[in-house]
Amino acid sequence: MTGALAADPSALAAAAPVVGAALALLIPHARASWLFAFAVMAAAAVVAIDAAARGALVSAGGAAMFSTALVGLSAALCLFAGAGLVREFHAPAAPYAAALALCCAGGWMAALLSRDWIGFALAVEVAWLAGTGVAALGDARRGALNGALRMLTSGGVSAAFMFLGVGLIAHATGTLEIAALAHGAGADASIAGLVLVLLSLSVKTALAPLHSWAGGVMGRAGAAPAMLLVVVGTTGALAAMVRIGAAAASAPHLAGAVEAAIAALGATSVAICSVQAMGASDLRRLAIYAFASQAGCVLLSVSLGSPAGFAAALVQTFALTAAMLALLGAAAAMREASFDALDGLGRRHPLAGAAVTAGALSLMGAPLTIGFLGRWRLIEAAVGAGWWWVAGVALVSSLAAVFYGGRLIERVYFRRAAVVAERDRDLWRTLTAPVLAAAIAAIGLGVEPSILLHASTQAAASIFGTAP
Amino acid sequence: MTAPALLAGLVLAIALIASGAVGAFTTANALKKVGAIAVALGGALLALALLQAPNLALIALVAVSFAYAVVGVALAVRLQEAYGVIETDEIDAADEQDEPRGPRP
Repeated sequence: MTGALAADPSALAAAAPVVGAALALLIPHARASWLFAFAVMAAAAVVAIDAAARGALVSAGGAAMFSTALVGLSAALCLFAGAGLVREFHAPAAPYAAALALCCAGGWMAALLSRDWIGFALAVEVAWLAGTGVAALGDARRGALNGALRMLTSGGVSAAFMFLGVGLIAHATGTLEIAALAHGAGADASIAGLVLVLLSLSVKTALAPLHSWAGGVMGRAGAAPAMLLVVVGTTGALAAMVRIGAAAASAPHLAGAVEAAIAALGATSVAICSVQAMGASDLRRLAIYAFASQAGCVLLSVSLGSPAGFAAALVQTFALTAAMLALLGAAAAMREASFDALDGLGRRHPLAGAAVTAGALSLMGAPLTIGFLGRWRLIEAAVGAGWWWVAGVALVSSLAAVFYGGRLIERVYFRRAAVVAERDRDLWRTLTAPVLAAAIAAIGLGVEPSILLHASTQAAASIFGTAP
Repeated sequence: MTAPALLAGLVLAIALIASGAVGAFTTANALKKVGAIAVALGGALLALALLQAPNLALIALVAVSFAYAVVGVALAVRLQEAYGVIETDEIDAADEQDEPRGPRP
């Protein structure tokens, strides 16, 4: 392991959370264990961001490093917020939840950095099972167990397809190395294997129509697990899909078929989940369906198979993560996920209201938000490639987001609360930093996007081995 | 292994995965769901063996199957403790009673 870390220091970003998880179990105090988990995750995020910024030797490629840094950063913010939400857990279970949250984030980071298919599949399953554990532990209500069973069922079946796909790819290429895809052997079996792996990851990204677990879990899970599952879990799975798309894009004999499969998955998810988000019955369900709809746009960007498309995908993934953290963090501050809790939030709780507004505006792709930047880059790349229908789907997704995001803003500023809930100052104290950081990122990086654009362009260019 | 034998074996493995998937999503009993997941993962193990995947892949899949079984049984036990049943239709009904669905926005 020491040799691996010396060869590729970014591996420390994936190893630290797993080691930290074991240590978090030893801390009996609930809030202290979550704060320790935050410290470990923050250190891992710093390593990942540093490696991404320096363009350090990363075998998985620049796009994977960009996503690893994003997952690490968002996981650190979630864990900090989680320290304020420990009351959701039974006290003896809180350290286990902190350890599982670290394993979830570490698993997705390891999957993004993995060089071989077995490491990739194992890391994905560790992350998914850890997420299932957090969902099961995360609420005093018994409904959380029912949601966790749904996750286990979907995850178990998708794991079978993942390993079948890995077997086909290994049979076709004669090795377990992901980079061997580019060598050109066994195209048909490799394509079948890659499609199976992508289908398996679609389940974990909650892409329609393979997202049967999502509504049930989000409706029943507590605030902290809901935030972790969306901001870290589904974002990690989406980033893993982008990584698989990047691996296929570097293999010309596979690219066409795999990009067609990714485009089909993306367009289907945009169509179905936009409708579901408009009809969602509470804020957490709205968040997961909105995520799946916008993740469809990310996949459409990947399906373009060009550096511009991958850069757009990375910007949109960043925008989506910031919007979800702002929305779900504000929902956690209200201590309930019903739409009624949003009524009059702008007057009762101006900062939480501003966070919901920033998240909703970014989801809509409103100008001067990071969501607009991502959507603009997608449309630019799609028109450049002559894929006009992709630009059309992106516009339809934005129009749907105006509908469901507009509803949130209308409730925050234009309705009066029927029942005024007591403000929990202790809870808001820990939620302020992560929620406002996400809201400021959603707006600030839309106004001054040069750092993000440079990072995403450089990461996308590394996939194709060209200078930015 | 000859090509027809490999093909027949793969068809059997895919049939196992498919039957496991159908069973996991259609049965209402939590323990039967865990059993169905094990059948699906067993099908994947058979496929990996037929495709002569490296031993590391087989060991990894066995470990993943074991982890799913352990977490699944633990969840079934907790469901029995919390609801008194492990039938998901009854559990869904109990959840509806706990939190009746509110009006849509």
